[in-house]
Amino acid sequence: MERAEVAEMMGSRFGIPPEAFEAVSFFLRGRNVWAFSLPEVPDLDYEAVGLRFISLRGRVPKPSTYALQLFGRFATKNVVDLSSDQARKFIAGERQSMEADLEDGYVVVAHQGDVLGCGLYSRGELISQLPKERRIGEGGIENLLEGGGR
Amino acid sequence: MDGLSRYAGVIPEFDRFVEAIYRPLPTTARINGLKTGRDRLLTRLRGAQVPCSPFPWYPWGIRMGTDKPGNLLENLMGHIHIQEEISMVSAVVLDPRPGERVLDLCAAPGSKTTQIAMMMENRGLLVANDPANGRVASLRSNCERAGAINVAVTRYDGRRFPAQKFDRVLVDGPCTGQGMARKDPAVLGRWSLKRSLGLQRLQVALLKRGVEVAKPGGTVVYSTCTFAPEENEAVVSRVMERTSGVSLQEVAVPDLESSPGLAEWGGSSFGDEMKRCARYYPHQNDTGGFFVAKLVKE
Repeated sequence: MERAEVAEMMGSRFGIPPEAFEAVSFFLRGRNVWAFSLPEVPDLDYEAVGLRFISLRGRVPKPSTYALQLFGRFATKNVVDLSSDQARKFIAGERQSMEADLEDGYVVVAHQGDVLGCGLYSRGELISQLPKERRIGEGGIENLLEGGGR
Repeated sequence: MDGLSRYAGVIPEFDRFVEAIYRPLPTTARINGLKTGRDRLLTRLRGAQVPCSPFPWYPWGIRMGTDKPGNLLENLMGHIHIQEEISMVSAVVLDPRPGERVLDLCAAPGSKTTQIAMMMENRGLLVANDPANGRVASLRSNCERAGAINVAVTRYDGRRFPAQKFDRVLVDGPCTGQGMARKDPAVLGRWSLKRSLGLQRLQVALLKRGVEVAKPGGTVVYSTCTFAPEENEAVVSRVMERTSGVSLQEVAVPDLESSPGLAEWGGSSFGDEMKRCARYYPHQNDTGGFFVAKLVKE
């Protein structure tokens, strides 16, 4: 998998500059793109190499939560910064109505400028794409409210 | 006190040690520099009314005034990793650099792995090995959350890790875990000399393999979270006897109190050079207990 292809996917959707991926190599395994620090791996029997980055299973490429948590900070479009109430719903894995300047499709979801993960924006609704094992239900988050712990 | 009274003659201020070992541990975490800046994270936590203060000896470690750090948003985002303070010392002594080839031979659940990945700035190669199937899941999950892209996970029996050459190797071996008593008091009841001696065989084989796969001039760090000399100095001493061209370097971390390794124990003499290892006791820095040795290959 060429770096330029991945940079093009992340650039056209999120406006992330290609330089962000300069030190990263990408390879295809199944229908997932993985990111790794080196162009080649030494000859060992691996359980996993690098970070799962983009899924090519669907109609459009879907970035992983971890890819966006790492590179989403460089995004210049299709980014939404949530209020604390909205963030709480997002990390609980919920969908919520939202008027936002976003194209339909996958978006970078942030809170106070820090990336929470990937959302799907469709017909005025933001649907959390956070993996089930990472979700934290209502009341679980202690420190979401600005200036007030829960 | 199970298994601890045997240390009365070697642990300084033994009364304070005993008193400390029954106190719960402070809540601590490591800031993940791969995903956030130190000041940014501290500002965020303080803004959310979570009291936090950096360790005096390590700028990436913080103590936090919260009971459930796992539920913090910063944990979900991978900006912090919940990790016991003293366990951060292994990677600090290993001192990995960006672009190197590094092996973490007993890696799961990945606290030290993700710390090493951060110190390497996500560059070079970090092989994280652990044979246990169940533990590899937590290792992979922690690497994902940390955003580590330079980690390759393997599942070899560490004693027979394939021939490769690494700049640095961490052997954070399985141990009786007496130093974890403040987190789980039951470890003290489970200790026996027989268990220590049984683990010693495995620890010697792991460290020996760690030394073998290090490049000439490479660094090998051996660490455990137990006080038993059978699993610490005795292991290092045995491996050094059997391997030529390996020397011990002084382990000294500024602003972190420690005691020297033991030159002798239970009638066995390990030699004065073993004093270059470091023992960390709970009453010294209000942490868990730990042992670290730094070996350098010629």
